[in-house]
Amino acid sequence: MSRFGKYNIGPICLVAASMALPLTTVAGEIGDIQWHGYLTSAFMISSDGNYSGDVSDAGGAKDTRMGLNISTQVDESLSFAAQLKAKGTEDFKMELDWAFASYDVSENVSLRFGKIKYPVGMYNEYIDVGYTYPWIRPPEGFYNQDAVGPNLTRVSYQGFGADFKTYSGDAELGFNLFGGVVDVPDGHVNQLIGAKFSANLEDEIRFELSANTGVMEVDDSFGRQMMMNGERHTTYTAGVIVDFTNFILSSEFGQAIMGRKVMGNRPMDMTSGYVMMGYRMGEYMPHITWEQWDVDGGWGQEVIGVGVRKELTTNSALKFEVRQVTPETTPKPAGGLGLFTDVPTEKDVTIVGVAIEMVF
Amino acid sequence: MKTIVYRRLAILTVLWMVSMAAYADDVVVIVHPSNALTEISVDDVKKIYLGKKKFFPGGAKVIPGDQPKGTQSRKFFYGGIIGKSEAKLKSYWSRLIFTGKGTPPKIIGFDRIVKEWVASQPQAMGYIMRSAADDTVKILDLK
Repeated sequence: MSRFGKYNIGPICLVAASMALPLTTVAGEIGDIQWHGYLTSAFMISSDGNYSGDVSDAGGAKDTRMGLNISTQVDESLSFAAQLKAKGTEDFKMELDWAFASYDVSENVSLRFGKIKYPVGMYNEYIDVGYTYPWIRPPEGFYNQDAVGPNLTRVSYQGFGADFKTYSGDAELGFNLFGGVVDVPDGHVNQLIGAKFSANLEDEIRFELSANTGVMEVDDSFGRQMMMNGERHTTYTAGVIVDFTNFILSSEFGQAIMGRKVMGNRPMDMTSGYVMMGYRMGEYMPHITWEQWDVDGGWGQEVIGVGVRKELTTNSALKFEVRQVTPETTPKPAGGLGLFTDVPTEKDVTIVGVAIEMVF
Repeated sequence: MKTIVYRRLAILTVLWMVSMAAYADDVVVIVHPSNALTEISVDDVKKIYLGKKKFFPGGAKVIPGDQPKGTQSRKFFYGGIIGKSEAKLKSYWSRLIFTGKGTPPKIIGFDRIVKEWVASQPQAMGYIMRSAADDTVKILDLK
């Protein structure tokens, strides 16, 4: 849970706030305010077990979420932006997703300060905006942030970010240095420092490499405190998105080295990755994804998923997907197999989902 | 049967690309008459309209103006010069907007409104059909 910005207000307030804003918003000129929003309405059901604490065999709409984004240009160099969100997985409590000031030192160098979206992972900075990617849930072998999940990436951090960019031919090259403190569900990651290199060739090929390190401070009284508290961990990721006219390929791999040794081994160390391929056929884009999450302690899972995305308008899409989750048979320290909070009776669990995505 | 479908799709794609390139000549990029520029590269126009460049070549601040979806000028400009479909454009801007890294150009209006806005705003850049331009604005040559 976030250290700040958590209010017990429902999503109605979010919609009301958006309605209260002027409709004739503009951008680019000093003092102008621009606002945007997103909405995901989703239903998911599993054939067995309680997946990641929010998908059960009774079905549910926990992936439903909405957000409102406001930005303004204070002067020629300084801008401010913030985003509020309400998610079904958080009981629709309105939350400050991120809020930061950005200062342009030059056209190719900018600094950010505040609560900033965590920049690790090709999709993580806009992971709640389902319209921007093919799946209902991006591969959880990489993006899941449950306390005992892959944890390669986080929601946001409080601190600074420095962005540098340059051009080489048609390629835009970027370097991002970031640091601060991260709130995690049962504690904090302190002394966070990280770097990301990115290359973007006309938005048809995007490539990223990242590395970061931090020290875990675990508040809970379960086994994780013994395993993780005070331990430095280091994470490495690499990702690529190829998006030609009709063909799309997306793949990321990551490794987390958690520091703590037990009898000469590091049971919490893990590797994770996925490969997705899709093909646009008019308004439809069928896609297939393989993902794997392996922890040295013996737990993890493999997932194969197929889905289809249909463009409804230029700012909305309908998605349908089916995934087969095969968890490792070794239970996690906190219980349950893979990302299940319990032990499903089926070896392969099927998860079906449908969602409507919208940006405005 | 499949071969015929693929051949037709290929022909349609080539025709679409050729038509967009041809129509792109009918759209002109305009600035305020006091602007010292006489020409600008297509790459610079792309960067300005995709939020990657905030200054004219030479260093002055630029404020790009856009047209609403559905206008012929917008269709030719984004299809022929920027090279992005509406769906890809929406996805591109969504990635920037919802990370606080950028916002799309201001929607000004149709050709006549854009021309009047550019004529009154020294930092402005816009695009309109060549037939809608007059001497209240300066047309930049695209190189």
